[in-house]
Amino acid sequence: MFLSFTPRLRLGIHCSNLLSKRCASNHSRNILLRGPTSQDVSYFRSVLARPGYSVLDGTANQDTKDEIDNRYNIDWTRHYQGSSDLVLRPQTTSEVSSILKYCHENYIGVTTQGGNTGLCGGATPISNEVVLSMEYMNRIYKLDEYSGVLTCDAGCILQSLHDYAEKNGYLFPLDIGSKGTCQIGGNVSTNAGGHHFFRFGGLHGTVVGMEVVLADGRVLRMNIDANDDDNNERTHQFQQSSASLRKDNTGYDLKQLFIGGEGTLGVVTKVAVACPALPTSKNVALLVCNCYKDVLQVLKTSKGQLGEILSAIELIDMNTMKFVQRYGSGIGDHLISELLASEVADNQPLFILVESQGCNQEADSSKMDAFLTSLYESSTIENGFLAQDSKHIEEIWGIRESCNPSVARAGYVHKFDVSIGIESYIEVADEVIDALKEANLPDLTVCVWGHVADGNAHINVISGQVENNAAKAEIIENIVYTAVMKRKGSISAEHGIGQSKRKYMSQVKDKTALELMSQMKNVFDPHFILNPGKYLP
Amino acid sequence: MKKILVPIKRVIDYAQKVRVDPSKGPQGVQLKNVKMSMNPFCEIAVEEAIQLKEQNKGAEVVAISVGPKQCTETIRTALAMGADRGIHVETKPDVRGDYIDLQPWAIASLLKGIVDREDAVDLVLLGKQSIDSDCGQTGPLLAGLLNAPQATFAANIERGDDGSFTVERETDTGTETIKLNASGKPAVITCDLRLNTPRYPTMPNIMKAKKKPVETISLEDMVKELGLDLDEVLTPKHEVVEVYEPPPRKEGETVGSIDELLGKLKEKGLVA
Repeated sequence: MFLSFTPRLRLGIHCSNLLSKRCASNHSRNILLRGPTSQDVSYFRSVLARPGYSVLDGTANQDTKDEIDNRYNIDWTRHYQGSSDLVLRPQTTSEVSSILKYCHENYIGVTTQGGNTGLCGGATPISNEVVLSMEYMNRIYKLDEYSGVLTCDAGCILQSLHDYAEKNGYLFPLDIGSKGTCQIGGNVSTNAGGHHFFRFGGLHGTVVGMEVVLADGRVLRMNIDANDDDNNERTHQFQQSSASLRKDNTGYDLKQLFIGGEGTLGVVTKVAVACPALPTSKNVALLVCNCYKDVLQVLKTSKGQLGEILSAIELIDMNTMKFVQRYGSGIGDHLISELLASEVADNQPLFILVESQGCNQEADSSKMDAFLTSLYESSTIENGFLAQDSKHIEEIWGIRESCNPSVARAGYVHKFDVSIGIESYIEVADEVIDALKEANLPDLTVCVWGHVADGNAHINVISGQVENNAAKAEIIENIVYTAVMKRKGSISAEHGIGQSKRKYMSQVKDKTALELMSQMKNVFDPHFILNPGKYLP
Repeated sequence: MKKILVPIKRVIDYAQKVRVDPSKGPQGVQLKNVKMSMNPFCEIAVEEAIQLKEQNKGAEVVAISVGPKQCTETIRTALAMGADRGIHVETKPDVRGDYIDLQPWAIASLLKGIVDREDAVDLVLLGKQSIDSDCGQTGPLLAGLLNAPQATFAANIERGDDGSFTVERETDTGTETIKLNASGKPAVITCDLRLNTPRYPTMPNIMKAKKKPVETISLEDMVKELGLDLDEVLTPKHEVVEVYEPPPRKEGETVGSIDELLGKLKEKGLVA
């Protein structure tokens, strides 16, 4: 397999001088892509309706170059930096189509980017690919009042979808900490999991329709009804051009390939998502357990006693909680102090957030009350707090959503997002801690938090110093992944592959599966222009 | 210090979007299936009462609420925060506490009766206003009915050994500090935002609260016991004429360049 150099950079070192027009080539195909030239820029200006908005040409002036570098060329974790000189921000599907058709014909690499909140560098250019930003495609088309299907552009910010659905009595089924910035197209392309995966399932189930532009510019509509321009042709009387139906079993479900496809098979331009009804009663509690065995008991009890109203269970360990107290935005500080007040210094308590959602406040409150009482009386929990009003609910979720940003402020983060059997959750963390000690790596704090009911652990190894030590990173990676893989887990539960886990794909994936994936890539993107250097090995 | 009374109100949760049904006229505010919680200023009053109790061993904190049967939950929250017992004056389910049926005068009259009924009350702590009616009248009306010293919008409260209260209160131009002398009457103080941060009722306290006594008495019975007139209490002194949602904000327009912006401003006659 031919893998050209992929300039992986850390912490702000520019490498544009290395490549003028060529990007990293791609996996097994020896295809050489190029970056855009000034002629290409002129072409794009001519096909986009508002070039003043939609074309950011980094070669035009330093301000634009700076904007591109600060906003599009660097990822949220600041571990990955690209050197794109051109950002295109189309407003309609037909503009996306024109862009891709041209890039396909001219072998120009394209990296699609949404909210740029990904944690694996999947939306950051490897070098000077064109960045295709979906930020201006942000219309919400409709929400069917009976089916609850919400149809919108891929560039819609997740929070705006939540707000719109809520106004109409529905709940958007995906909820993650970055919802103020991330876009649904990116969420779909990475198959984001989030807090309510446990209750509503993932995007593979809730996305009922999608519009995608393929690498060669063809527009593929799958059970979606939305028009942002007049370019949809119906050649046959019965051809499906509409609907966003809840059920449709006519042919291979192609849209599933794009969910989690990380922009390597096509560019998602519109989605139709089935939303559940907005729950009118929400209860949130933050509980304190002495050991993981008790946490497992809480999990079991919640399924039995809260049952159908249980909507989220999240775990936060003591190291993480300490970082939230120290580096968080201040939200929930009092609550944390109060819950820790009775803790003995050496204790390593585990915190669990339990949320219920339903449509009858009285019934739900009494279920919650019975649940908490039984946990407390059986000493399964040592302490706990039930939100009495919305402020408390915001604080408890605020603590949970602060985990990632707080830990990022605490030092250099080696971030892992793994799937393991629920019973092994903390065992893996303990094994990692021991292995790190043995490997003689000092000054590292292991933090664990995550969607415990899904078996999804966010393991973060924090180093006190800002560093750029690839060898150390590799040792840590090996330790964590070994602990996970020996338990037949997954090295990426929900964050995806992007750049950061690409090199492990051939180790963790079945050979036949990889062959088929490679063949599929060939079918959808024969010139390999989409998101080069990522995902597939 | 012997007894602190804290009247608390169950209102629509502050984060809920209030909906108005235009077909129902002044009764339009929707209360069905809407999340209710303790009025945030009442929470602050409860917290202050607990803090004073902790500083004055032996003081008893009584939480009082007037409303439908769900008010017992609100009282339980106060008990979980540390109040010793509760009094729930239960109204029929269709009697509204958000200014439509029960108004500050009725509540103040009831509270005056309860203060007398309780006897030996040193202090009545209330929230400065409720977030549904925003009246801010119950405290001052109660003080008037009791002929008692009062201070409103308290940002800080200190109790003197002689039973006086020194209150720093919020004003439009800053704070002013006044002293309520011990007078044989309970002091009436209403609480503002900066007074304290209410504590979190954690599990051990929630469990203890279940065992604390709550006296439930119907509005009719309480009114009779206090020698008030039921009609007087239930007939509002003020009539709500109209209720409506604020008009929705108009969407802004995005422009692509400075020139476009200038063009639009000129179009709208905002710039020459």
